[in-house]
Amino acid sequence: MTRGVLLFAFNSPKFNYYDMAVATAKRVNHFLNLPVTIVTNEESLPEVQSYTFDKVILAEADKTNKRTWGIWINKGRYRAFDLSPYDETLLLDTDYMINSSNLLKLFELPTDFCCHDNTSYLMAPNVEQEFLSTYSVKTLWATVIMFKKTSHTKQIFDCLEMVQNNYEHYANIHGFMPVLFRNDYALTLAVRIANGHMPLEEYVIPWNLLHIAKTVTVYSNNDDEFNTEYTAISEVTKRGKTRKEYMIVKDTDFHVLDKDNFMELIA
Amino acid sequence: MDTNTLILEAKARFSHNSTKAYLKDKYNSKLIVAEQGGLWKVTPELIGFLASSTDEIVILIDSFENPVLVNRIALHDVLYKAYNDTMQLWYSEWKELESKR
Repeated sequence: MTRGVLLFAFNSPKFNYYDMAVATAKRVNHFLNLPVTIVTNEESLPEVQSYTFDKVILAEADKTNKRTWGIWINKGRYRAFDLSPYDETLLLDTDYMINSSNLLKLFELPTDFCCHDNTSYLMAPNVEQEFLSTYSVKTLWATVIMFKKTSHTKQIFDCLEMVQNNYEHYANIHGFMPVLFRNDYALTLAVRIANGHMPLEEYVIPWNLLHIAKTVTVYSNNDDEFNTEYTAISEVTKRGKTRKEYMIVKDTDFHVLDKDNFMELIA
Repeated sequence: MDTNTLILEAKARFSHNSTKAYLKDKYNSKLIVAEQGGLWKVTPELIGFLASSTDEIVILIDSFENPVLVNRIALHDVLYKAYNDTMQLWYSEWKELESKR
């Protein structure tokens, strides 16, 4: 039985996802002791590769998703099932900062598929959980997915492809904007469909996904390549006055929403 | 610029509330244990039940709401160790941060 991590990394005009993937892969090797396969395209591959992935899988980039800052190549995540060379796979976003071996626990869970449904925002304790829309269901997060290759998980990824191909239809049903394709939304619908719209306890990672919001800036506390201690600084407004607050984060994995901040952390 | 200088220059205050919430999240995740085919949230109540029961085999409802047949003593030992290890780390990190008050 083989285990490994799969990263999708297609460079956009603004962000170098390949570089993010290299930094994340090094941390995966260090903290999880797992091999890393990257799914990328020719355009994203640098001429000189400073890091050797377990496998490099070249795939065509779907450039139809656009954000305010440009093209965002996030479609095609459904291919993870077929492309992963591992029996048990951790599928991670490239901007997920690993600082511990916590993710290894996912392989021990009595389930063949899991992802986050609960989030916490550092220094913003009152942020509510996200729903697809006011009248729809709670969002699942595609940032961290663990799956084992079974016929059931294949159904989930087949559903993910179906939802991606009919995203506007599902957006109409669930009342969210179809303009921007989000893997989180597609995953939410795919898992629910594959599970017959039944409760999802067994598909949920039993702890919160920690987001670093764009209003918080994180700094490494030292220059070690595998540093695990950070200072987070945020502006807080109380009674009309704005001041800065900080806190220390240690040995904790987190997802950095501000890509510029993530690039600074891995620089 | 090192982070201590950064904090000084920004005149940033240490946020106890954010730290408390973060530590709760961090260490609650370490109190989740997959063992004997079930998923367990380690609580003093669950440890107490396992310690006080006299049967070798017991059936418990796990976090996935499934009944799981377990070896009581073996599960107790694993959960007790997880609880103690986690609480010691939580306590020492909290004390260290509280000293910043």
